[in-house]
Amino acid sequence: MTRRLCSLLSAVVVFSWATSVAHGDDKTGEQIYRERCVACHGPRGEGVAEGYPEPFTAGRSLVELTRLIAETMPSGAAEKCTGPDAERVAVYIKDTFLRAGEPAHAPRVELARLTVSQYRQAVAELLASLRGARRWDDRRGLLGSYNAIDDKGDGKHVFDRLDSEIKFDFGASSPQPERISPKTFAISWVGSVLAPQTGEYEFVVRSENSFRLYVSNRAQPLIDRWVQSGDGKEFRGTIQLLGGRAYPLTLHFTKAGQGVRKMDTPGAPIPPASVHLAWKLPGRLEETIPRENLSPVETPETLVVASNFPPDDRSTGFERGTTVTAEWERATTSAAIEVADYVRGRLRDFAAVPELNAEHASQVREFCARFVERAFRRPLTPEQRALYVDAPLASTPDLEAGVERVVLLALKSPRFLYRELGDADGFRTASRLAFVLWNAPPDAELLTAAAEGKLGNPEEVAAHAQRMLADPRFDTKLREFLLHWMKLDSPRGLTKDAAAFPDFNPTVEADLRTSLELFLAEVIRGQTADFRQLLISDGLYLNGRLARIYGVDLPAEAPFRKVSMDATNWAGLLSHPYLMASFADTTASSPIRRGVFLARGVLGRPLLPPPSAFTPLPPALHPDLTTRERVALQTDAAACRSCHNLINPLGFTLERYDAIGRLRSEDNRRPIDASGSYQPRSGEMARFTGARELANYLAASDEAHTAFVDKMFYYSVQQPIRAFGPQAHDELKRSFVEQGFDMRRLMAQIATLTALSPTIPPSNSASSITATKEQ
Amino acid sequence: MSRGLGRRAFIRGLGVSAAMLPFVAGLPSVRGEERPRRKQRLVIVFSPNGIVPKTFWPDEEGANFTLKESLKPLAPFRDRSLILHGLCDKVKGDGDQHMRGIGCLLTGIELFPGNVLGGCSEHPAGWSRGLSIDQELKGFLQSQAETRTRFGSLEFGVMVAERADTWTRMVYEGPNKPLTPINDPYQMFSRLYGQARHKENLASVLDGLQQELRTVAAAVSVEDRRLLEEHAALVRQTENEIREMKANASVAPPPALPSGVKQQDAEMPQLSKMQIDLMVNSFVADFTRIATLQYNYSTSDAAMPWLNIAGRHHDISHCPDTDEEAQKNLTRIDQWYCEQVVYLARRLAETPEPGGGGSMLDNTLIVWTNELGQGNSHTHENIPFVLIGGGLDFRMGRSIKFPSLPHNRLLLSLAHGMGHRIERFGNPDYCGEGALPGLTG
Repeated sequence: MTRRLCSLLSAVVVFSWATSVAHGDDKTGEQIYRERCVACHGPRGEGVAEGYPEPFTAGRSLVELTRLIAETMPSGAAEKCTGPDAERVAVYIKDTFLRAGEPAHAPRVELARLTVSQYRQAVAELLASLRGARRWDDRRGLLGSYNAIDDKGDGKHVFDRLDSEIKFDFGASSPQPERISPKTFAISWVGSVLAPQTGEYEFVVRSENSFRLYVSNRAQPLIDRWVQSGDGKEFRGTIQLLGGRAYPLTLHFTKAGQGVRKMDTPGAPIPPASVHLAWKLPGRLEETIPRENLSPVETPETLVVASNFPPDDRSTGFERGTTVTAEWERATTSAAIEVADYVRGRLRDFAAVPELNAEHASQVREFCARFVERAFRRPLTPEQRALYVDAPLASTPDLEAGVERVVLLALKSPRFLYRELGDADGFRTASRLAFVLWNAPPDAELLTAAAEGKLGNPEEVAAHAQRMLADPRFDTKLREFLLHWMKLDSPRGLTKDAAAFPDFNPTVEADLRTSLELFLAEVIRGQTADFRQLLISDGLYLNGRLARIYGVDLPAEAPFRKVSMDATNWAGLLSHPYLMASFADTTASSPIRRGVFLARGVLGRPLLPPPSAFTPLPPALHPDLTTRERVALQTDAAACRSCHNLINPLGFTLERYDAIGRLRSEDNRRPIDASGSYQPRSGEMARFTGARELANYLAASDEAHTAFVDKMFYYSVQQPIRAFGPQAHDELKRSFVEQGFDMRRLMAQIATLTALSPTIPPSNSASSITATKEQ
Repeated sequence: MSRGLGRRAFIRGLGVSAAMLPFVAGLPSVRGEERPRRKQRLVIVFSPNGIVPKTFWPDEEGANFTLKESLKPLAPFRDRSLILHGLCDKVKGDGDQHMRGIGCLLTGIELFPGNVLGGCSEHPAGWSRGLSIDQELKGFLQSQAETRTRFGSLEFGVMVAERADTWTRMVYEGPNKPLTPINDPYQMFSRLYGQARHKENLASVLDGLQQELRTVAAAVSVEDRRLLEEHAALVRQTENEIREMKANASVAPPPALPSGVKQQDAEMPQLSKMQIDLMVNSFVADFTRIATLQYNYSTSDAAMPWLNIAGRHHDISHCPDTDEEAQKNLTRIDQWYCEQVVYLARRLAETPEPGGGGSMLDNTLIVWTNELGQGNSHTHENIPFVLIGGGLDFRMGRSIKFPSLPHNRLLLSLAHGMGHRIERFGNPDYCGEGALPGLTG
């Protein structure tokens, strides 16, 4: 659609130029704009998702704007628009888009519905909170309750202990031979499991004995092997979990048989007993559920909505909820019904009543009011209570049906589905904080603070933000952002040429992903969460399998450990083999993909998509060339150079890593040339060779810092940064630098700043919006 | 976020979505015109702990036979019944007679070794190694558009013990995959008619929702209002869809169930009636063509106070033949189960076949069976099979005595009668020369 509009406009332009412009090469400002600027800034100067995402803003004089264009525009090919051309286009922009010094499209906080992941988190939090949420605390492991079973089959509790992980081989013995007979005993492990990311989890239990595993759902086991049948020793169950949340987990284990008891045959051998609880995270290999993901605290049961939603709009590069479709409307209906059904089935529990009858109707009504308030993330006015609680309950004599109607209406309501409704009060502050830091609704502490008027000033808000950083949902959000930043958030399997890389397979790929995740977790949870560490660290997590491939000496069976690599050749993410393998083709490295990540992702340079789709030149076509030479050859055309002058010299610095990220010294039997360069928006051309020099440059680059702040802002707030005031960006970047590039503090800062920012008052015409006008 | 197969299973576990899909997708919820080929239905009814042979089996063979005490209630349907004597559960292997009795009854194949130990076997057992015939037929019917139904099969229970082990499970989806029958008629009601309930609930809140969308829209800026107006238009669309569905609905209105009936032995007569009413209605609505109805479970110790019997069923079933009182009580119990089967037959006979001539019983075969031939001997010889109705083109109104044939052959006959021409079912060693001779002729 946009494309068609553009070509229509340019056709008009060409026509008018042909008839009215007398001088040879002199184009009007408008013509230049249509040719060179429109792709990134849009036909109305409103900004373009994959180009420059923000509208023009007033604030620069004509002279300043002209100089800016001459020196930096078009991005990556500044020499193409200088002198009189730059001035003409500056005049055009000023006259057309910034009339009367006012932006045509003032950035504003747009009304947005919950994204799909926010919706699922909101429902999960709502239902958990109504059961009295319990906090994830510092204790780790599961609480094991060990029981002896006597000859009559009666159980006797012997001792409790905290077990870090569930991996026991009791053999023919018992957990405590002096008090528990090895013949029959039973153990129950109780607590919670923390899901670090959203997706489908596979739980695995290995045991020759009887067991039942409950995850999330307390009523229905995920794996039921109470009755043993057939040979198997390994049992699996899958379940969808939301990242950053803890779910109740119980594992009942028994060595006792079922049915009729028989007298023991004297001298009969004692059969063995063992139990092992493992899981497989999305895209990862199976592992014993680690201690840090287990807690003896029993979190309340909740619901992960299973109804299918259409994916959110990602056209601006990050998910946001600014469109509604028929499919989405149906999904909200289906999900509301799912929740209504869930609540109905557990209503006595939720409302804390023994029976559902007239006698307890008032408690049920109060539960309904709590449900709606939590759903709306703010208290109800008397009118809202009448509409959302009293009316549905009065509409049917059936109490349970009445509750279902309350649930349906609340979850279909715009007050649940949209984020920016309601007054600019403490409750709105609480919501903004929670959605920025957790991608989830506010918890009880935030709502209490809001009700007590304790979210009014930056200190109070910052204190809450600080508290919220300790919640696992924050780690999950920061992790998801970093993967998004690297464009690795929806990994598709890596395919590599089997002849060239016989060692590379899905197991290695999953290992590499694990290695990256361990590195991210280390930086995220580190003392300072220093952004620069992502670029400059010389640590690489390897296990025995990876060590063999990547040339490090470790025992073949070694589990993952951090290895200090040769600092000249290894630098954080830049040389991480998972990134290098992801930004590569099947047989050759890809300086272009690596360069695009560096230019667009790390340095925040807007890049135009190539004029048409290209496949990389096959190496076989030019058997004498190195990858570097082939890339240079393919992108030599003038149409390519404006961007590839920027992309290629960045990507070339990573040429020491092959298509699976192994360090190499030769390509096509010629020594590697890893020299590269970068022309920043202002200042000297920078030159570097290899990942280390590049990493040092980027870690100190103002452009990289700016880009990181912007990207984190858009990802977590999902609104234009300028809607929060002209100084918002500068303020955030300054504090990012001052606080040692701490990513956790940056997100807290973003949350604090946006949570307290006033909303632009409702108005009836766009032109009356003046709140963000620059001075 | 990837959403694969596991998620589907997950949704199924919630018991909502499959039923909800046509509704949510706004498709018509009522089936189209009647198809030319006649419908065929199969109901398998189970009662436990064997029977009393001398009060159960007719002495005669052929069309002229007399119903004895236990089968007296069958009198009105005598001409539409087929009483099969001489079928034996030959399946051996792990597990005691009760476990193998119920676990091999519809599967015709051995149990896996496991950890459930019975009273009269050395070898503990697990679940069945194969699927049951009703599920086999479900798969067959669901594989063709003209016989496919919303549920494919429904598993009813009456006071089946709230524990999952080899004694309590008769229906298997596959090896090691027992299906849990639904004991609670209210739960079954919700499964069958929840959709209508959700629809009504949703319809009742849409006015309030539109009102709120207007209130909220008035309080936001012009740009934001556009989004809310689009949203309101989508809600109106949902409203229209519901209105259309209501206009099409109610070919088969749900039965009125008495409220507050508890899960306890003394309520069995009431629970039984509710479940049968639900089953008949689900046939009228063509929700399924396969159903099982499991009374209690193998080794059931149900108390039956409404029959004025003091002891418990399993205990009584162990008494010797010489115990007159016990034999009388067991006969009374079997007679009560027979009355339930007859209630089902009568409901079907009184209900006209929707869209076709005759009654629903003309197109339904009821198979009433048991895990044992006799309670005190735990024999697998002469497993009771009493068939009622015209669903499978068998020649009814007869008493047949087979010379100790494996019951797998009856399972094959049921499949063939439903148009599913399989040559083997369960353990092939017990399939002999295939389907039973003389049922149709």
